[in-house]
Amino acid sequence: MPVNTGLADVSNALLFSTVILYAIGMLCYACDFAFARQRVMAEMPARVAVGAGGPPVTVPAAPPAAGPATAGPSFPQENTPDGAAQRWPVGFWQRTAFGLTCVGLLSQVFAILTRGIAEHRVPWGNMYEFLAAITCMAVLVLVVVSVRYQAYYMGLFVLLPVVLGLGIDLTVIYTPAGQLVPALQSYWIAIHVTAMIVAAGLFIFGAVVTTIYLLADRSERRLAAGRPSWSAGILQHLPGPVILDRLSYRTVLFGFPVWTFGVMAGAIWADHAWGRYWGWDPKETWSFITWVVYAGFLHARATGGWRGRRAAWIHLAGFGCLMFNLIGVNLLITGLHSYAGM
Amino acid sequence: MTTADRDRPPPAESGLTEAELAEAGLAESSARKPIAGVRLGFGGWLRWGWRQLTSMRTALILLFLLALASVPGSVLPQEGIDPAAVTQYYTAHPALAPLLNRLSLFSVFAAPWFAAIYILLFASLAGCVLPRTFRLVGSARQRPPRAPSNLARLPFSASYATDLPPGEALDAASQVLRKRRFRLESGDGWVSAEKGYLREVGNLVFHIALLALLLSVGLGGILGYKANRLLIVGQGFANTPTALDVFRPGRLVGPSNLQPFEINLNSFQAKYITSGPEMDQPIGYTAPLSYRAEPGDPLRHYTLSVNHPLVVDSVSVYLIGHGYAPEFKITDGTGKVRWQGPVPFIPVDPTTMISEGVIKVPDAEPTQLGFAGVFLPTAVDVGGQLQSAFPAALFPRVSLVAYAGNLGMNSGSPQSVYQLDTTGMHRLPIAATPLAPGQSMRLPDGAGTLTFTGYQQWISLAITYDPGQLPALISGFAALAGLILSFMVRRRRVFVRARTLADGGTEVMLGGLARSDAAGGFENEFADLTKVFRNSGTTKTAGPTAPGDAEHNPALAGREGSEG
Repeated sequence: MPVNTGLADVSNALLFSTVILYAIGMLCYACDFAFARQRVMAEMPARVAVGAGGPPVTVPAAPPAAGPATAGPSFPQENTPDGAAQRWPVGFWQRTAFGLTCVGLLSQVFAILTRGIAEHRVPWGNMYEFLAAITCMAVLVLVVVSVRYQAYYMGLFVLLPVVLGLGIDLTVIYTPAGQLVPALQSYWIAIHVTAMIVAAGLFIFGAVVTTIYLLADRSERRLAAGRPSWSAGILQHLPGPVILDRLSYRTVLFGFPVWTFGVMAGAIWADHAWGRYWGWDPKETWSFITWVVYAGFLHARATGGWRGRRAAWIHLAGFGCLMFNLIGVNLLITGLHSYAGM
Repeated sequence: MTTADRDRPPPAESGLTEAELAEAGLAESSARKPIAGVRLGFGGWLRWGWRQLTSMRTALILLFLLALASVPGSVLPQEGIDPAAVTQYYTAHPALAPLLNRLSLFSVFAAPWFAAIYILLFASLAGCVLPRTFRLVGSARQRPPRAPSNLARLPFSASYATDLPPGEALDAASQVLRKRRFRLESGDGWVSAEKGYLREVGNLVFHIALLALLLSVGLGGILGYKANRLLIVGQGFANTPTALDVFRPGRLVGPSNLQPFEINLNSFQAKYITSGPEMDQPIGYTAPLSYRAEPGDPLRHYTLSVNHPLVVDSVSVYLIGHGYAPEFKITDGTGKVRWQGPVPFIPVDPTTMISEGVIKVPDAEPTQLGFAGVFLPTAVDVGGQLQSAFPAALFPRVSLVAYAGNLGMNSGSPQSVYQLDTTGMHRLPIAATPLAPGQSMRLPDGAGTLTFTGYQQWISLAITYDPGQLPALISGFAALAGLILSFMVRRRRVFVRARTLADGGTEVMLGGLARSDAAGGFENEFADLTKVFRNSGTTKTAGPTAPGDAEHNPALAGREGSEG
């Protein structure tokens, strides 16, 4: 069936407006950090509160580099008596930023939907579509986590790579709407690639949180040692490393089974299409490497002496493998997945 | 192990001593390292080595080695995936390639060092999983341990006062815990409760399933086979080793083990996008086949296409490639027809389907003849050079260079049918002009005539038989289920102690311990339990010490007391 070019143009316009909405939203998150001084978290040294103006969530101040404690520090209570009040963003800048993020997300969802309708297929057939989908998933995770854990402070840091990624997506690797090559014409694309998108979106969010965690951890150690920390200014708006560490761990706990499922679905599809479920194609190899490194992170997280910073670096290494698999393998290495290129 | 750990360190954050943790069931008692100063015998070293191998640190290092070792397999061409690329690499890097080959870097995933890593990893895994499975079976009937004497020193604790006598307060708490499906144990003035045994079950299922997955892959490799066959439209073949172009049997597969099916290719259609920016892109391939499961069976029909393999007698047949086979009629210098039929040419550019091939005429007289050239499905002249503008055969042409002399086919060394060895041949002085179907090329010196009579299409088939497939699939899903189970269930213990105070009232102490709660979440449950306990009995005053006890409100507690 031929591509509906009119609808494809609508999709492009929607994605373009998405980037603009995210960019303004990102600026508003930055303004929230800059102007909303009353919510500086470092002013509450005895507490590691995530919410804004909510009831006090008492947790012991974690010793530096203690890593994730087995007990003690917690996410804010999810059902506090006036939890409804602290669940939503507070203050002009935060509300505006969150509102723009949500509108942007809606616009992106419609961009992806219209693209799919225009092409009469699942809109994840090439790298342009795939990047649009994983950034959409990352923002969806941001919105859900923001509300559930009052993690509005993540907005700036997640939207930054999302805006950059979408900018590159729309300019450098834009691919006009089209049909799928025969190898991709299977219902497995809806299963395998969707799982990969969901996992990748979660992993993007987790990696951003881990990066912030490493900064917060470094800053905390420097301050404890009486040395200056350049990131202390912005980090005082963020919760302590312990909570960041847990947040990133939770995203991996979600993402890892999804990734595992995605790899398995890919293997089943490979068996249908190429006659073997595993053939060490570069894409397969790198999804295996990614799986192994994330598994290593989960094990390190549960092992003494590897928690905290070391585990965080393993987490980032896993994310590096993921990104290399999504982008590097398509550009640098020829394999059976090469049709997914640009 | 994924989350529950092998060498679990006592959580330093909780500020508990080893003895207290042991009492609460958190610490592992066995020492990991040999004690300094003690001489180890051979058995001792063996034990030490085994402990090292099965330690989490070693498992982690092996895990990362495995990831690292896979990298060259994706960067360098691999013998098992693309042998032609390996040959190409040899030509491009003549000095480096033999060195890499000695290190098995062109077949990483079959290399001994790669096998060493994963065998060690799985040995480490087995060494960890098996004892734990026995322990789990043992602990399945085990009761929760006695409540530690000082609950305030546990990671989570709370206390409240009540008017109920200690026994009734404990009964009330037990009821709540039983309703929440905790496993209970009680004694004089205390109740212990434990929940979340399924976490360890999930964890073990995951790791055992991984071992099963590896075994399934191995099983498939030993009992299965892979084969390839190029099939021209109108032709057929029977599934025997000699009829297959490539045949890679497993260690225990003999020629008699092959399923005796027969396949004929009736026709082949490739559809392409004919306009727009995606012109030349294929949109569908269909290959109508007729086949028999074994000789004498009725003929059946199947339309083979990409993503839709034919399954016959538990063997799968896949469409993995296609190409053109120009048809030639070649007469030699004596006027005899020495070749008539299609010759498969190999596509060199998948977007335009320009294909290269050779024709060998060993029976030609007075000298053997050889031809090398290209087939252009839609030939166009681009600045004096022949190109193909479209992958479908809209304007087919062949262009051939002719050779005469010795084809070298009797030299003993095997030859590729797609390559012409011209060392014993000389090029005939005739220009390579493009031929249209029906046109002929008369060779000089009366050496013969070649006529391009038309073309056929061919498909390449991958034939695989893998009895390990279903076990691998089941293992995979078991691993996933175990993973999800171990991530979702949290193992935790709750202890309750009640005693009579000097003023006649009762103090109830609560203690909580999450044995695996790296992601957090137990604090909410503990706070909730505290609240429910408190409401289940009469409360006078409360003295919360719980770090997670966020909802503590003395005023509210007092009101509850008066109501009760």
